[in-house]
Amino acid sequence: MISDFILRMVFPVLISTISMSTPLILAALGGVFSVRGGIMALGLESMMMTGAFCAVLGSYLSGSAWIGVLCGVLGGMLLGLLHGVLCIRYKVNQVISGIGLNLLALATTTLLMQLVWKNRGSSPQVASLEYSGVVSPLFWLTLVLAVVASVVLFRTKFGLRLRMVGEHPQAAASMGIRVHGYKYIGVLVCGALAGLGGTYLSLDHLNMFVRDMTAGRGYIAVVINILARYTPLNTIWCAGIFGFSDAVQIIFQGRGIPPQLVQSLPYVVTLLVLAFGVKHITPPAGVGKSEDD
Amino acid sequence: MTIRRNLFRNGGNLLAATETIRMSTLSLLLAMVVSAIIMAICRYNPFEAFGAIFTGAFGNSRAISQTLVHATPLMFTGLAFTIAKKASLINIGVEGQMYMGAIATAWIGALDFGLPAVLHLPLAILFGAVAGALLAGLVGFLKVRFGSNEVISTIVLNTIAINITGYLANYPLKADGPTAQTNRILPTAELPRLFQGYQLTAAFFIAIAVCAIIYLVMNKSLLGYEIRCVGYNRLAAQTAGIPIGRVMVVTMLISGAVAGLAGAMLVLGVDKRFIVGFSPGYGYNGISVAALAADNPIGVVFAGLIFGALNAGSMVLNRTTRIPTDFINVIQAFVIIFVSAPLLVKDILPFHKLRRKHDK
Repeated sequence: MISDFILRMVFPVLISTISMSTPLILAALGGVFSVRGGIMALGLESMMMTGAFCAVLGSYLSGSAWIGVLCGVLGGMLLGLLHGVLCIRYKVNQVISGIGLNLLALATTTLLMQLVWKNRGSSPQVASLEYSGVVSPLFWLTLVLAVVASVVLFRTKFGLRLRMVGEHPQAAASMGIRVHGYKYIGVLVCGALAGLGGTYLSLDHLNMFVRDMTAGRGYIAVVINILARYTPLNTIWCAGIFGFSDAVQIIFQGRGIPPQLVQSLPYVVTLLVLAFGVKHITPPAGVGKSEDD
Repeated sequence: MTIRRNLFRNGGNLLAATETIRMSTLSLLLAMVVSAIIMAICRYNPFEAFGAIFTGAFGNSRAISQTLVHATPLMFTGLAFTIAKKASLINIGVEGQMYMGAIATAWIGALDFGLPAVLHLPLAILFGAVAGALLAGLVGFLKVRFGSNEVISTIVLNTIAINITGYLANYPLKADGPTAQTNRILPTAELPRLFQGYQLTAAFFIAIAVCAIIYLVMNKSLLGYEIRCVGYNRLAAQTAGIPIGRVMVVTMLISGAVAGLAGAMLVLGVDKRFIVGFSPGYGYNGISVAALAADNPIGVVFAGLIFGALNAGSMVLNRTTRIPTDFINVIQAFVIIFVSAPLLVKDILPFHKLRRKHDK
């Protein structure tokens, strides 16, 4: 009886939670690097979407899913670089730059789909990641990346400097740290991780690209960053909450419980945390500023 | 440059005004040129594309009507973003506030009170504005009371609002039939069409009027002065005795009310009911409009018209050519980027470099 319940309910929810939260963890990890370096990560959506698209394009052109993964990461980095150039070199408001890039990525990927595949809605099926077992190897890689990110940020000289750049760029500069260099590294790592998250969506979760594939996951990752207080390890369980609600919502569909309400739950939780817990969650002091103001 | 721009924001300086208009125009042109280059690279004829867009937007009276219809929601959402920006608040929640306004209006509009149109229609509009204002007011309250970043809370509330309205339109307020939508509003709540056979309603003129009112409030009233002070320098405003918390909440309330109006006008004038997923992102496109308008309520009218024309024209582009309409979205995204990066525009356009040296 109990084993039956575990087999029919708990197990699918668990698997679904893992597959729903993997891209969120990846994107949010990227966000941590960007924010710790002082650049708000509102462009995560664009990096994920471009990553997802480039991954499918790479896989389509080369026939190899792993080349697709590489292209996805590079695509995410390209958008990260663009965000960095706008925010660092041209001192654009980081929120506006992020939103502009998100709209640009949505429009461009939809456009490119029509140019490459003559179809506005979805790409053809391409070679996707294949593995034995139910849990994607990317999930384990994600966990490893989270640990690595935590060590890099809090246990290495690089991490200390990156955090210093995000916290107080003038002080960092006065110590001879190349502020811009560190910020660019931050957004590039951010783009790579978010691009990998997008790749997971298009080459692992599915085996194609569909229009607006990320569907707001980049924004969720921004929210996860806040919940996780910009630390890599907390990111895992915070993303898990959102993944879990997605999984539960799928199970509940067609059983009389409105999926919209289930889906809202993690957001309501986030709102409560924003209201009552936010005093303990402060982003690095230098976020949103360019160092000469 | 920044100082000049800020001066303009704070009061009307003719020199700065022309500078702002010039930068917006240059950014728009640059966005269109970049898109045209992309079109050319994709082996589409950009002249054919812009020709089709122009015909679709201004070619005949029906096209002009469509331009105005498409401009209306963009003017409201652009204005909503602009209002918040005046107080240095970034209201990404326009989309969610618009959904709340739309569902409230659709609910009141479909209820039969036996009211005549002169009461029913304003009541429906009022409920839309109030619903949007309440959601945005919550954001302001959270920011003032708890210090929650408005960017994050609006993102969260967007999803909550879209989900809640989706629930309402799927369950308690669902009309009979397969689609997730509410009942059709009563004729007493409908915005009448101005001309037989054209979609244009009074909503367009209400939008212009609201832009003008907001312009007056921002520039000629004490509240507007306080809002601009808070936006310009929050600390200085506080030192000067301006109740910055209250001003921020009021700003968000007004911004949300205007966003709610966007939804209300779409329900009463175009869709006649709340349909799940009715917005193709008007809330986010409002950010493009606000950017092009350089945060000026009068500029919003023109920026809204320009994007309205692009959107109306894109429909014709879709019908008469094989050029993808998504070029319009590419243009809009580039507008946000270029307008918010004046340094980038100056780097791209060579004749600006001379001026920049001169400025130094």
